[in-house]
Amino acid sequence: MCGGRGHYRLSGMTEDQNVVRLSAVRKDYGDTAALDGVDLEIRAGEAVAVMGPSGCGKSTLLNMVAALDRPTSGTVVVQGEDLGQLNETRRALFRRHRIGMVFQFFNLLDDLPALDNVALSAQLVGTPARQARARALELLDELGVADRRNIYPAALSGGERQRVAVARALMNRPALLLADEPTGALDSRSGEQVMDLLLDLNQIGQTLLIVTHDQRLADRCASRVVELADGRVTHERTLERTA
Amino acid sequence: MSAVWRAARAAVRRRRLQTAVIGIVVGLSSVLIVVGLALMAASSGPFDQAYTKQQGAHLIATFDRDKATGAALADTTHRPGVSAAAGPFDQAVVDVTMAPELPPLQMTVVGRDRPDTAVDKLYVWQGRWVTGPGEIVIDAEPTADLHTKVGDTVTIGDGRTVTVAGFAHSVSDSAQAWVAPEEMAALHPATEQMLYRFTAATTDAQISAGQAAVTAGMPAGALLGAQSYLTLRANADITAGVFVPFLMVFGCFGLVVAVLVVANVISGAVVAGLRHIGVLKALGFTPNQVMAVYLTMVLLPTVAAAVLGTILGNILAITVLSSAFFESYGAGAFAVPPWVTITALAGVPVLVGLTALLSSVRARRLSAVEAISAGSAPRHGRGLHAQRRLSGTRLPRAVSLGIGLPLARPARSALTAAAVLLGVAGVTVAIGLSSSVTAYVDADSRADAVQVEARPAKDGPTLSDQADESMLRALPGAERVVASTELTMRQIGAAEPTRVRFYRDADAGFEMLAGRWPAAAGEVAVSTRFRTQNSLALGDTFTLDGDGGRLAVRIVGEVLMGDAEPVLSNWATLARTAPGRRADRYEVKLAPGTDDATYAAAVNAADPGLRAKPTRAPGSITVAVHSTITLLALLLGAVAALGVLNTVVLNARERRRDLGTLKSIGMTPRQVVLMMVTSMAAVGLAGGLAGVPVGVVFQRYAMHAIAHAARIVIPDHMLDVYSAPMVLLLILAGAAIAAVGAFLPSRAAARLTIADALRTE
Repeated sequence: MCGGRGHYRLSGMTEDQNVVRLSAVRKDYGDTAALDGVDLEIRAGEAVAVMGPSGCGKSTLLNMVAALDRPTSGTVVVQGEDLGQLNETRRALFRRHRIGMVFQFFNLLDDLPALDNVALSAQLVGTPARQARARALELLDELGVADRRNIYPAALSGGERQRVAVARALMNRPALLLADEPTGALDSRSGEQVMDLLLDLNQIGQTLLIVTHDQRLADRCASRVVELADGRVTHERTLERTA
Repeated sequence: MSAVWRAARAAVRRRRLQTAVIGIVVGLSSVLIVVGLALMAASSGPFDQAYTKQQGAHLIATFDRDKATGAALADTTHRPGVSAAAGPFDQAVVDVTMAPELPPLQMTVVGRDRPDTAVDKLYVWQGRWVTGPGEIVIDAEPTADLHTKVGDTVTIGDGRTVTVAGFAHSVSDSAQAWVAPEEMAALHPATEQMLYRFTAATTDAQISAGQAAVTAGMPAGALLGAQSYLTLRANADITAGVFVPFLMVFGCFGLVVAVLVVANVISGAVVAGLRHIGVLKALGFTPNQVMAVYLTMVLLPTVAAAVLGTILGNILAITVLSSAFFESYGAGAFAVPPWVTITALAGVPVLVGLTALLSSVRARRLSAVEAISAGSAPRHGRGLHAQRRLSGTRLPRAVSLGIGLPLARPARSALTAAAVLLGVAGVTVAIGLSSSVTAYVDADSRADAVQVEARPAKDGPTLSDQADESMLRALPGAERVVASTELTMRQIGAAEPTRVRFYRDADAGFEMLAGRWPAAAGEVAVSTRFRTQNSLALGDTFTLDGDGGRLAVRIVGEVLMGDAEPVLSNWATLARTAPGRRADRYEVKLAPGTDDATYAAAVNAADPGLRAKPTRAPGSITVAVHSTITLLALLLGAVAALGVLNTVVLNARERRRDLGTLKSIGMTPRQVVLMMVTSMAAVGLAGGLAGVPVGVVFQRYAMHAIAHAARIVIPDHMLDVYSAPMVLLLILAGAAIAAVGAFLPSRAAARLTIADALRTE
């Protein structure tokens, strides 16, 4: 669907460079350690899947990389930015410009139609409404849901909602796309579509970090799988993609 | 412990912010309700309350002591219709000199051995009652400016020196000073005073009947004069009437705002708790138990806050009203009527309970699953279309999102806008009334025209009239000096004497309501009240009788002034009745920047026979009125802002997930605050736009009512006090009230932890 577009790759960035670097990251909730000394590096163009049982710290790790939460200790560097050093406003600007996020339950704004949900990310940056809508329409077209642009989220299917969410995440051309159980709330057919979409994106150079329970998703989309248990990285393996 | 109580207590603990908001709003609303109702109660008659408390006399009768014997007077106390009586008391009209530098005052002095007689119980508010000869108690209102103090000596009659034992106030206005009965012999009393209360005294006819009963059988001419309480009441009504309209306006505003905000808070709290209700039902709570949990949860903070608010409201009402109105009548401190306290204590929880009950009826009907999935912002209706249109505008996205938010909850937004509307209307009325009253008081006191007054001292000026005037003009800072003198004359056909002031200058600084300033001899200007009381019109002629003979005068102008100087004329007219008389007052207008106290000191130094003093001090009532208006406006604004705060708290809770999403895609904390504040500023702006006209209408109503009660004319320019910039500011005040109320919860929303917010499903 979207082969041949190199504009998702950040200029000046090679595949050897680390987009993400976590060093001895620890996150405590009271007496419980959600992450316990995690080290992780993700290079540009990689698609990394983080897997593990419930409560192993997958979502906490994703929240650290997305600057949604702060580590208790250790450093999280994304695209050269030490997230621990950023104040709230700069963390928001970081999220706005450097990353895109896709959630299990889509998190679309229910009182905006699909087109305006996608355009919103660009409008927050100050892009004029007409220009933002034009780019949003382009993305919806590329993801195959342009004909649903005026439909409100409540009337979209799960797969359509997730495609709209992916379009929104790509709106500001992020260096890193984060996906938290992106197929977790979808039926198998919609899940397949989303997997294809993520694979296509990675193949054109989009760096991916996917948190999932779904072994099929990891096998299909990831170039590397990181397994977590009790807040620690227990295993890492590189995959040959099945598709 | 029942499951209902346990669940309610847990819910209160978990919803600390909501519980605090309910408590604060209910508490402040209770304060407002108590003050509002107390104002209404107070406006129904501080005079009547004071009169009842002091057993004021319905009739004060002055008898010729040569014609009415003590036995005959004692007999009058048992006449039909007389419910209580006091007297006879010796009475004399004598000169009293308060201080050597002050001219003597003619006072009615009565001999009384105690203040708490059956009728006309005197309110001794400073010092004590006389214990024997050589002492005097002076009549004064507790709020009056006193020239003497307890322990000072004053001179009465033919040079007798007595010590001031205390100050007292007679609501019946029965005398200006009291001494011990043994002291009276030296004052040569010619009359006896009797004080009566009648079983019926609400009409002139009833008072006349009472008077006829007590004078029946008396020799002709025994009764020298009589004063009906209805006359005093009429004058008191003028004063009370001035303040009743604005008390009523603010009282009503306070009640309506309190009801609106309470309804908004409680309905919002119930809607926001629908999910909780669903969980309770899923656990096996019956619909009635769920209702009981919710009512208990809402009523716990409500009852506590209502009790606290009622206590605070009582304290505030007593403080404000006592100083503003009651002490000046000598009624002592104002007591909040029990019905006000009971209404607030019972009414507020009942109102809150009913609102919660109505709001939770929907929750009672919902199934557990429906309730759990409810409680978020509506996803249909006009709000969606508006959001879509707004997203295409050139406004910053945070602003356009904010403008669209209120449309998602139109009923809640309308309640919030109505609270802001009344808050803005209250501020508009407060500013308008303050400006109008200040403009009137300034014009009446001629604050712009007279900054220093100089009057001859007891021993008289050392310089001549012309030399004093020249000296006053020559002193640094004097811009204009106007000399005048006053004569007490009698209008033919009227019982009361008329004071006439004659001005030597054409421009005395009076505001002309109609006609012109008297220019030729025989011309006068009068106040509206004088003209209407005497059924006179501009151009009419009436006759004044004085020491210099009769003087026919023609009304050529109507001036704005209180009742102090009802008739004004010029020096040419004075020459016809009292030629050669010198000025007894010099009014000085100072150049801007001149210190009035310095100028007055220079006058006193230049002619020690003149006593000059600045005229700047505003009346205590004016100060009290201004402070009351300001306090009430602030309270209204605060409660309106709290209503907004509550709405933002509810909106933020409902949109927790949306806020998390917006932050996850890069909305900065500042943009979150901007969005939330904009959402309420839009509501506030709407409230401001509607509130200003409402406020202006109420200001007009109140000022017209004040003018009617005080029998005065208020010129249009004193009503048109709202300039275009002020109107703009007042409209923006709505947005400001809303922005202030929205700011704190918006900041809390901006600090929301995204990860937690997005887990809310």
